[in-house]
Amino acid sequence: MLVLSLVLVPIVAGFVLLVLRNENPVMSRTVGALVAAFTFGAAIAAHGQEWSYRWLTRPFVASFHIGDTAISYWLVLLLAICTFCAILAASVPRQRAFVGQMLLLEGAMMGLFLARDLLLFALFWDLMLLPVFFVLLGWGEHVATAWRYFIYNFAGGLFLLLATAAFGALYGSTDVIGRSDVHLAGAWVPWIFWGFAVAFLVKTPVWPLHTWMPLTYSDTPSPMVAVVSAVQSKGGLYGFIAIGMAFMPEYVKAYAPILIVLGVISLLYGAFVAVTQNDAKRVVAYSSLSHLGLIVVALASLNATALQGALIYMIAHGLFSAALFLVLGFVESREETRSLVRLGGIGATNPRLAGALCIAALAALGLPGLAGFVGELIILTGIFQAGLTWAAILALIPIVLASAYMLRLFQGIMNGPQVPDLPVRRDLGWLEGLALAPLVLALVVLGVNPHALTTFDTGAYNAVATTLQGGTR
Amino acid sequence: MHYQMGNSGSYPLLLLLWLLPLAGAIVIWAFGPQLKRLAGALGSAVVGASFVATLLSWHDGTQSVAGAGANLVGAHQALVSWLPGFDFGLLLDPLSLLWVCIITGVGFLIHVYSIGYMYDDKAFARFFAFLNFFVFAMLTLVLSDNFVGLLVGWGLVGLASYFLIGFWFEKPSAVAAARKAFVINVAGDVGIMFAIFMIVASVHSIAFGDVFGNVGSLSTPWLLAICICLFIGAAAKSAQVPLHTWLPDAMEGPTPVSALIHAATMVTAGVYLVARCAPLWSQNADAQLLVGIIGGITALAGAILGCAQWDIKRILAYSTMSQIGYMIMGVGVGAYEGGVAHFFTHAFFKAQLFLGSGLIIHALANEQDVRRMGGLMKKLPFAFVAMLVGVLAICGIPGFSGSFSKDAVIYGTLQHGHPILYAIGILTAGLTAYYMFRLLFVTFFGSYRGDVDPSDLGIRHPELAGTAHAAHDDHHGEHHAPAWLMNVPVGILIVPSIFAGWLLFGGEHSPWAQFFAQQFPHPTLPTPAISELTTTLIVLACVAVGIGVAYARYATAAAQADAVERLRGESVRMPALLTNAFYFDAALDLLFVRTSQLFGTIFGRLIDPQIIDGAVRETAFSAQWLGTLVRSFQTGLVRAYAFVLVIGVACFLVYYAVISGGLH
Repeated sequence: MLVLSLVLVPIVAGFVLLVLRNENPVMSRTVGALVAAFTFGAAIAAHGQEWSYRWLTRPFVASFHIGDTAISYWLVLLLAICTFCAILAASVPRQRAFVGQMLLLEGAMMGLFLARDLLLFALFWDLMLLPVFFVLLGWGEHVATAWRYFIYNFAGGLFLLLATAAFGALYGSTDVIGRSDVHLAGAWVPWIFWGFAVAFLVKTPVWPLHTWMPLTYSDTPSPMVAVVSAVQSKGGLYGFIAIGMAFMPEYVKAYAPILIVLGVISLLYGAFVAVTQNDAKRVVAYSSLSHLGLIVVALASLNATALQGALIYMIAHGLFSAALFLVLGFVESREETRSLVRLGGIGATNPRLAGALCIAALAALGLPGLAGFVGELIILTGIFQAGLTWAAILALIPIVLASAYMLRLFQGIMNGPQVPDLPVRRDLGWLEGLALAPLVLALVVLGVNPHALTTFDTGAYNAVATTLQGGTR
Repeated sequence: MHYQMGNSGSYPLLLLLWLLPLAGAIVIWAFGPQLKRLAGALGSAVVGASFVATLLSWHDGTQSVAGAGANLVGAHQALVSWLPGFDFGLLLDPLSLLWVCIITGVGFLIHVYSIGYMYDDKAFARFFAFLNFFVFAMLTLVLSDNFVGLLVGWGLVGLASYFLIGFWFEKPSAVAAARKAFVINVAGDVGIMFAIFMIVASVHSIAFGDVFGNVGSLSTPWLLAICICLFIGAAAKSAQVPLHTWLPDAMEGPTPVSALIHAATMVTAGVYLVARCAPLWSQNADAQLLVGIIGGITALAGAILGCAQWDIKRILAYSTMSQIGYMIMGVGVGAYEGGVAHFFTHAFFKAQLFLGSGLIIHALANEQDVRRMGGLMKKLPFAFVAMLVGVLAICGIPGFSGSFSKDAVIYGTLQHGHPILYAIGILTAGLTAYYMFRLLFVTFFGSYRGDVDPSDLGIRHPELAGTAHAAHDDHHGEHHAPAWLMNVPVGILIVPSIFAGWLLFGGEHSPWAQFFAQQFPHPTLPTPAISELTTTLIVLACVAVGIGVAYARYATAAAQADAVERLRGESVRMPALLTNAFYFDAALDLLFVRTSQLFGTIFGRLIDPQIIDGAVRETAFSAQWLGTLVRSFQTGLVRAYAFVLVIGVACFLVYYAVISGGLH
């Protein structure tokens, strides 16, 4: 039952906050943070637990089956940490409703990562779009962005649903995630594979399906985009591992060249665009395109080392992109602009804010000693081992570019002479510092010793790794 | 197959000397405002303690025990493991011991000097936090027992360098210089990363021992590729042509930083890397030749450009580049003891030259242009003595430390069969003597020119220089620290600047050769046609010519009489090729910076909004349909909910029906 509470508690708490009439921002922030902290603790306590309720028996078996796997365990923890930090950092108008939406988002994504049933996975896939959609409409009135986000991802969701239905029809059951004895074969499988793949490629996103992302990331309020970029983008990557590689390894292998090319294009394209963007949040958005492109290459390289690196990098990217968006949110709330042309010299009066942005930017540019470096290095080692020398060489270019655009971001905001007409605000407060501390701490700990993320070899992951090492099963 | 390096065991002193500077950095960073001036004392104390711990670890680092199949030299301490094959540990052997001694020893003196130099800076504590962090990072680099640990240190020293070059971060030129240094060094890091991929793919381990032990199993092209990739990293860090352009700009940092990071320690990391990987390089003559050539080119280019500079720190920066060229040339051709010895002596005399120039800069309210100095011998006698010893040492005047190590490198190139590099080494020695004595004469001889109008001296952008100085003035108030804080470290450095080279005296039986007896390969070499003594005499003749030209141009009574006119003439007539430093900056800018920006602009301004979104608009959603949709659902959230649910459920039902029908 504890595992079920991971999904239900945030959703119930979110709805309660939405219907409450109490507008005290401290209350809503406290409730939100407590719920997120509870989910973190409960995720650890419920590790390995399952809860299942038979849903459908015809035309195929489907269950409301919830429980973590070796990989989703880490994503669930990442989600809980990021939600906790984002809620602590949230300082927006109509705080109560906003925190409510944050909790709904957490609950839906908990459902996505904990779903052991494909149909449930597809259901939560669509559900997790709604809070972001409503926040885009309600906080800032970014109607065009909201629709663009929704239509792109919902279209992806439809492909996912079709693929799921076809999967169920072909295999007789969708209650399969985390099982290692499921193997799909038949003439229909390529179609099913691409149904899943389109959904995942849109969500990640991968070039050329990415154009919803820079807008969404720059228009969504920072605390929510921190969670979206950190965790929601991992939904597609998780799907590739838990569904694509687990059930259709031959097809992943057959279509790997396409995925690798798209991944390499994304990682170069994103990095080059990030160098020239003047909107701070767009720099990070395009850097995400670049970083996640690397993970797509890692997964498609079908190499066990690269896969281990991909898991580390998924967690690391979650941590540093959340930290980056939160700090940029702090900057924006103080200076009322995110333009690198307008901003400058804030570091002199805000040393703690500068320090926070510096650490986040350094983690993003892959500084050795922080988690991002471990992921990058192990991924690239694996890609090279897999014989993709050209991809490994091309993937080194964005590392150099990342140092250029991340330092441009940091220096453009914090360094240089002070800009006379920018308001001088108070430095980073204790609550804001507390919101960043878990992310920074995790980046350092995993950067020095990623042991925990590299030594597990149970369940689905093991099956995938054996499959990959053997080529096909 | 697994090969061990060093005697595995528990070495608490080694851990202590490694982690103390990190602890210092964290404490000073966290409690800087409370510590105030104590931050300097604390920062110096931890590095001093680290130096003491190094001396106490001397026995561990030089111990030699017969192990499985080979002699194990030094101490090995295991740390953590990431993955199978990715194991981390510390290795203290003679090579790393030498570097650790310089990092902590010279580092300690520069920390003490910095207390005086940075006394009035408002970010005093931050400076020491970064400086301690640098020492920790550099220790990580040289103590790692594997390539990834080395890369971690490699990246972290780059970060420390970034922080300290951009220490005065309100100055746009310092900010730009810091970013340039960091990005070029990341390009170098990437080279080492690629070498690591190749190493892991072939040896399945990152440990130095395993890689060096299995070097025989690597094919020649593969080994060459590994060496080239490693050397890209070395070249970026050690300012080798064409990745050197960040080093002169790095002089934007405070002078103690230039002394510690950009002269004595960090920039010699490339020398360390090649010396550490001697088992790789000594197996591949092409790799040796490449490194030797790049080192030679850098030595010569640095010396030529050093002749054309007017900023005292930029003269020293180019001379550092040139001297590291010597070191790289030495370790490249296989004269490891000589190349490493030049690192050792250079650390002392170049630190001393920088700290001495810091005394001048400090005394002249941040003036750095030698044209506006002159006649300082009487005004700053101690600085003169310090600079004189440094200049004599760098020029290789017999008896001074530089003569032993430089001659060892130059003679080593001939021994290993590279007569052209030998000639370059001798020519560079002459140029070095010219530009270093030029520095000395222009700065200390003649009469003071600080009150002369800058344009009369041929200074092109006096207003630019003026603002830079004004910015500095903010950081240095009227109150100065006790003079001994700066003078004592410089005074102490004079001793090794003169005598450190004597450790090389005695050829094969010298203490130096004994110390490294088990470290480097010692192939039997043919005796060259020109003897070591003759080499020394040829070098001395070139040095004498260099000093003579400098004397004739700057120090004769006639030259001093119309010094202003002559300096102006030289400034105006300086060839554009030299004032633009052979256009390396412009070329790198055009090739990489502009090209990246062009790609970014095309992708971000054209492909994203026009082509991709245009295609999406045309095919999937006509703009009109989207507009209607938006308008109709904008009115209420409930409708949007309904829309989503209906579509979702409808789709599911449709396919449910289709599939049911299909199955039955």
